[in-house]
Amino acid sequence: MSQAIVFDNEAVQALSDPDHPKHNRVVSHVQVVTDRKKRATQTSIVVPTSVRVEAGWDRTDPAWAFPNSLGIADAGLDTALANAATAIRYRTGTGISVADAHVGAVIQSSASARITVITSDPDDMQLVAESTPVVVVTI
Amino acid sequence: MPGAVDRIIELLGSADKETANTSMRIPNALREAATIAVNDLGAAPSTTALTTTALRAALEAVVMQAGLDQHYEQHPRARPTLGDLAVAAAELDGHPLARKPARLRRAASQILALHPNADADAVLLWAEAQDAVPA
Repeated sequence: MSQAIVFDNEAVQALSDPDHPKHNRVVSHVQVVTDRKKRATQTSIVVPTSVRVEAGWDRTDPAWAFPNSLGIADAGLDTALANAATAIRYRTGTGISVADAHVGAVIQSSASARITVITSDPDDMQLVAESTPVVVVTI
Repeated sequence: MPGAVDRIIELLGSADKETANTSMRIPNALREAATIAVNDLGAAPSTTALTTTALRAALEAVVMQAGLDQHYEQHPRARPTLGDLAVAAAELDGHPLARKPARLRRAASQILALHPNADADAVLLWAEAQDAVPA
């Protein structure tokens, strides 16, 4: 079964900072994904680019060397995803941030059989996923 | 080594879809097995797609583990225990045992005593099996 893991802001923050109280927990998630990849399980971690902006993850900044070394792919906000994110924001109310709407668009457009989001904001993630089944890991 | 890992990440993320013929030698039996998997089981659109997907996944795992190993070297306390990994695996899958982390950590201790190289999914399976057997 293919699986996509989507990082929200807090997951990025926790991963980048070894002193963050949730660092070890997010590292554990990355290690499980790595171990599963070794067994040829189709699994990957993605970060929506607007989440990256919110979290301050600049891939050219040496301070982000560790997250950069993990092959976490960007899910860009291209035309199709921007339209989808706008529609999610319209349907769910403008209280949703652009980054959350982008996460929702990534969830809803994923071709993976299972989608998991790692977040500190489970309610908003369920909201932006709308009817798309999603596993929400609250950190 | 960081230079090599960075270069692999750069190449894996490259938008360059140009292809090249290679002189890579593959055992005949493996090639035939791949052909059957594609033709009869629909495992991939082509044997080339099957091979490149598997190669990409293997390379991604190599760079991820290299990044993690370097991090563990610099921050030994960040290295997860098998119990941590079992909880993380359950969480990622939305498994009901994710709500019982103490149960998973106990299962990890039990399985480690017999199988020092067990992984998180083995712990999950062990804990699930124990729950399935009436006490």
